Amino acid sequence: MANRALAGLRVVEMTEAWVGPVCASMMGDLGADVVKVESYPRHSMTRPVAPRAATMPGEGPVYERDALHHQGNRNKRNVALDVRTPGGAEVLRRLVSGADLFLEGYSAGKLEQLGFGWEQLRALNPRLVMISLAGWGSAGPYVGRSALGSALDASSGYMAVRGHPDGPFEDVTPTVHSDATGSQTLFFAALTALELRDLAGKGLFVDLSQWEGLVWQFPGLLGEWELNRRLPPRTGNAEPTVVPHGLYPAAGEDEWVALVARDDREWAALASALGHPEWAQEGHEWATVPGRLRRREAVDRALAAATRRRPGDELADAVQQAGAVGARVVHSAQIAESSQLRARGWIETISHRWTGPVAMGGFLWRIEPDAPAWERPTALVGEHNDEVLGELGFSPAEVEELREAGALGDHYQ
Amino acid sequence: MCEDTAPPTGDASREPGARPRRAAVRRHMVEQPLAGTRVVELGGGIGGGAASKSFADFGADVIAVEPPGGGELRRQPPFPGDRPHPDHGAFHLAFATGKRSLVLDLDTPSGREVLTRLFRTAELVLGELPPAEVPRLRALIDPRSGPATVWLTPHGLDGPYASRREVDLSLMAWSTRMQRQGLPGREPLRRGPQAALVQAGHTAGAIGLAAWRARRREGLRQDVDVACVEAVLGNVDTAFVNWAFTGVERLYARPAPGQAPVTGTFRCGDGYVILGLTEPWGARLCRFLGTAAPGEAGYDWPETARRLHDYLASHTKRETFDELQAAGVMCAPVLDVSEILEDPQALARGSFATVEQPGVGAVHVAGAPFRLGGVGSEEDAGWRARPSPRLGEHTDEILEELGYTTGERQALARAGVAAGA
Repeated sequence: MANRALAGLRVVEMTEAWVGPVCASMMGDLGADVVKVESYPRHSMTRPVAPRAATMPGEGPVYERDALHHQGNRNKRNVALDVRTPGGAEVLRRLVSGADLFLEGYSAGKLEQLGFGWEQLRALNPRLVMISLAGWGSAGPYVGRSALGSALDASSGYMAVRGHPDGPFEDVTPTVHSDATGSQTLFFAALTALELRDLAGKGLFVDLSQWEGLVWQFPGLLGEWELNRRLPPRTGNAEPTVVPHGLYPAAGEDEWVALVARDDREWAALASALGHPEWAQEGHEWATVPGRLRRREAVDRALAAATRRRPGDELADAVQQAGAVGARVVHSAQIAESSQLRARGWIETISHRWTGPVAMGGFLWRIEPDAPAWERPTALVGEHNDEVLGELGFSPAEVEELREAGALGDHYQ
Repeated sequence: MCEDTAPPTGDASREPGARPRRAAVRRHMVEQPLAGTRVVELGGGIGGGAASKSFADFGADVIAVEPPGGGELRRQPPFPGDRPHPDHGAFHLAFATGKRSLVLDLDTPSGREVLTRLFRTAELVLGELPPAEVPRLRALIDPRSGPATVWLTPHGLDGPYASRREVDLSLMAWSTRMQRQGLPGREPLRRGPQAALVQAGHTAGAIGLAAWRARRREGLRQDVDVACVEAVLGNVDTAFVNWAFTGVERLYARPAPGQAPVTGTFRCGDGYVILGLTEPWGARLCRFLGTAAPGEAGYDWPETARRLHDYLASHTKRETFDELQAAGVMCAPVLDVSEILEDPQALARGSFATVEQPGVGAVHVAGAPFRLGGVGSEEDAGWRARPSPRLGEHTDEILEELGYTTGERQALARAGVAAGA
């Protein structure tokens, strides 16, 4: 039996890219009834109609074979609606009328124009929790500005500290860290809002600014300014107060191993694993925390000389065995082969109509009893139109009329 | 906005010792959504601290059970004046807001007896611990009526790597993200400091809230095993799924010569901006600069790049942000942490809170991660950042709440099991 932690929760997700979709999948993993509303006839960002780098080669619609889409859409049903048509709008109204939670990722104000703003929806469903996920939030002077994860990275203070300290800043690549963490913020927001709804007996709107969801995660950066009026420097992989703390070359091309010793015990373990126990003997200038800090470059050079002829896996195993931190910088093929991830059954082979069997990463957590399961692989566009509309009280003839009117569909041009 | 979320109001509020702005008293009457819930956080680490932070800020009684001397969260720099102090570090000040601190030596039977009593009063336990310590502490919990449990460890509670030590950098090494931050020919790069560990902790907090809810509503007691590696690797921004789909690893993504980057970092008059150049933004940028758009006759990225360079040279990052966004282009300024405090959007929304921290003074911390009821609503005041506790500040009061007599509390302190501030 799949996990039932959120059984009974009805979720309508009308979001794109990753933050909303991943959150909704987590809810589906825990037994919530999640219906994803995809736009139609315009295709979602993660469902390109022409092949791109993330498209699995093969037969069938390109938009059903995109890795970026499959990453965040398991365990939900799918309806594809043109909510600009009267029929599509009626379907969405009925869906939201019966929902606990409506997640929407449109830019601020857009849904109001379409008749689905908060004031309009609360009249339909007084117990609804509606969460908007605009990048900079749905109030304030930046309303209406577009933001991918890269824009939030740049404007949060997070990008400014990245990159090689000696390199030009143009070489620093923005990350999409807000996408990877925003789904967790949204999940927490949704369950907190549902508690408040039940306490107050009425629904509420939640304004989730992905920027605000990101900035709390870097207290060290803000702290440098707040406590010492200094701007944190770009440090690459180094930590100012830990030596060694970095990546070192391993045997092979572009092979690296992360090595860290946080204290003298870990340093002794690391030195011994690298065949140089003398580095940690009392009296050696690197045997102490201050000694290593003073001689950071010499320590780094010596470590690199000791690592560059040994395979990354073997190094990481030896260092961990001895009692220090060591990890190979892995590529995906090594994830697929990882004895740890295999032992935990983390990688599962999932069958999907157009991708065939494919290895997918597992859940973000294990949970007992009732482990979550891939009950539904990523749904096809509009796959559950008939089923969901039937539950909403549309007769088969009405569904057919809606289809003919272009209000819903199950393929993109 | 409540008292604690008053935005910075200019230089005056940022002087050391400045008082945060006071708002209406009625804000304090708002019921916090997680009030009445007790959460026990174990380990004193950064991941556990991140996991339980929002519980405290939304009103739960979060008791951080800390090892004698404190854990990693309190040792993590920076510190005011660069002087390490367990109560003054930036991570502690940010992640321990509103928690109570109980110092207990869990290596003793006496410490575990106290913990057993504490567990009986809790609805949720969030523990960041070495996996070997988990079974012993889990055994103290009643499997039917006890709190929901979430255990945060590097690789999970079982498997051949379960006892491995990892830190943020090595978790990042496991993430398949590092090459994309690096440059060909140089070592791959991490994200910002502690990003992977905080992400994993954030994940543990989210699933913890679901487990708490299931216990409260359905009577289902869940036991959750969060492996940091899986929490990071199983989310988006991983190369793995892409590789499984295409057989191609995404490494060192750089545009080919003469082609536009997907997202580019560009110098402007007073710093840097980033621009999204996929569609529809690439075509809008071309229109803004008066060049042919991708797909049109005469499209020439190098020519567009030259005009962009000229435009940026004479515009600040703020001007660029305003003008290009008005033209529909996905664009943002690269801001440092002093600038984010003054950002017009952050000021308008009150995105930072001021906490009056004993021994440190008024400190800005990030505000609510989401706005219940919308910005400035009554419900929005359900998020409050209160000061972070001194190490062991609440040891005695919690022991008293748990029913220990004065004599017993003194005996526990004398034996070194429970330490006050």
